[in-house]
Amino acid sequence: MIQSRSREQIVGLLAIAPALFLILALTLYPVAYSIWLSLLEKHSFFPQERFVGLENFFYLWKDEEFWTSLWLGTVYSVWTILFQIILGVAAALILNESFVGRGLVRAIVLFPYMIPTIVAVILWKWLLNDTYGVVNYWMVALGIVRDPVSWLGTDHIMLSVIAMSIWQFFPFVLLTILARLQTIPPELYEAAKVDGASAVRRFIHVTLPQIRGILFVVILLRSIWMFTKFDTVWLMGEGAGAGRFIRTLPVYAYMRTLTYYQAGLGAALAVIMFAILIVCTVIYFRMFREEADIG
Amino acid sequence: MNRRPRRWLSTRGLLYGGAAFLVLQAAFPFFWMISTSFKPPAEVFAQPPSFIPDDPTWDNFHRLFTATGFLTYFWNSVIVSGLSVLLTMIVSAAGAYSLTRYRYIGREKIAGLILCTYMFAPIMVVIPFFILVKKLGIENTHFALVLAFTSFCLPFTLWLMRAFFATIPMELEEAALVDGAGRVRALIYVVLPLALPGIIATSIFTFILAWNDYIFTRILITSDELKTLPVGVQDLFHSALIDWGLIMAAGMMITIPALLFFLSVQRYLIRGWGAGGVKG
Repeated sequence: MIQSRSREQIVGLLAIAPALFLILALTLYPVAYSIWLSLLEKHSFFPQERFVGLENFFYLWKDEEFWTSLWLGTVYSVWTILFQIILGVAAALILNESFVGRGLVRAIVLFPYMIPTIVAVILWKWLLNDTYGVVNYWMVALGIVRDPVSWLGTDHIMLSVIAMSIWQFFPFVLLTILARLQTIPPELYEAAKVDGASAVRRFIHVTLPQIRGILFVVILLRSIWMFTKFDTVWLMGEGAGAGRFIRTLPVYAYMRTLTYYQAGLGAALAVIMFAILIVCTVIYFRMFREEADIG
Repeated sequence: MNRRPRRWLSTRGLLYGGAAFLVLQAAFPFFWMISTSFKPPAEVFAQPPSFIPDDPTWDNFHRLFTATGFLTYFWNSVIVSGLSVLLTMIVSAAGAYSLTRYRYIGREKIAGLILCTYMFAPIMVVIPFFILVKKLGIENTHFALVLAFTSFCLPFTLWLMRAFFATIPMELEEAALVDGAGRVRALIYVVLPLALPGIIATSIFTFILAWNDYIFTRILITSDELKTLPVGVQDLFHSALIDWGLIMAAGMMITIPALLFFLSVQRYLIRGWGAGGVKG
């Protein structure tokens, strides 16, 4: 009996070992290593390195570009998260009703989330093109603006990347909320209808309490992913000339490492990003302790 | 008496209006991409723009396949995504089986640890990962990419598969064991077929993540003949005059495999989603 139990342990551990090894070696180790790296002065490609303690962090503290990127990153995340949640929940409510062609609509709406970011970016750069873009064409034709707007220019590029990111990522919210809505027992709504509750009141008193837990998780995940979003922002800014007006924290970390080859500074930025995320997550859990239990 | 039908109409109207908006905002950019990809260069820049090409042509696709490295990138993407799916499935199926069928010390701690890494974003991992890969001497190889995608997908595929495996009753396996089948046979003939929707859902997630990835490929791959599609296509932008027709054709060719995969397993998706979610 004892023998078979220890055998069971060994087989079980052997089966999880490859997964555990990959995660430890290729995810956790790099994260730990970047903490060490943030204390070094190191060229991104050459092996020379020098221990400098917290010097990278002191440098960033006085670095105007760092504060700008922190601010731009915050602006970008707050607006994209807010609208993703609003649109995602609204769309989930619509797609949870029954109507003709619902299955098709559900599939089409998820497209933007499934395509490669590079495709989303080239699509939007073409739609928003200042001279030949169809968006400008319509806005001028409908008399909304007199002259074509330079959507990817310094004044509007933040607005454009926010709009595009909402378009690309709100289907995630939609899908997750929809999956939860489908598990709400219909009896709850019928009872509310019998009591004469309006649609708005049914949403507040029946739907909202039911989706609170999953909403908590979705907001958390989306916040983490938007705050660390790199490819969408980087690709939108690249070649646009106005890229520095959407140089968010992840983009700045990338540039420090691969444009200026300062791996230590890049790692310090990643560590700061990580620290901000942990602090915000802890505060978030404290603020919404009840939801955390449900979620 | 008159109020009820009118109210019904207005909520129905709102519903269909909302649904129409959802379809339009999602589909129009794709429609525009397809339309542009079939236009000859002169028509691409025509004002006012034509929605259906007046003079449709395969020219953009022809140039894409002959004058750019597109087919190489495409093939690289297929290999890297395919191998990532294969490796991820084997590793996470074994892991999920272990987490649901075996008892050992620290099992729940391991599950918790794996879940924690779910929130790491690529940008936090990729730079030290790059240095690690250089130390191992495997920079600029597809192998490094496959490792990157696999380790990056693992937290969520494991989580998802674990949820699927947990729904398969132990009794079925035990019945097979009593009938004299070995544990491996029971796994292959009883558990895996029942877990198929979960396996399909997770392989789709992995495929799409690997197929769509930009940052890992950008950093880990330097030679042109090893690039995958997203990075290869981004480089089409670097010519002086942007060839929108060509780029839209490329965009279409990248999108089609991802969408085909997605549509073919769509019905498993909402179920899978409820169990675990996806990354992005």
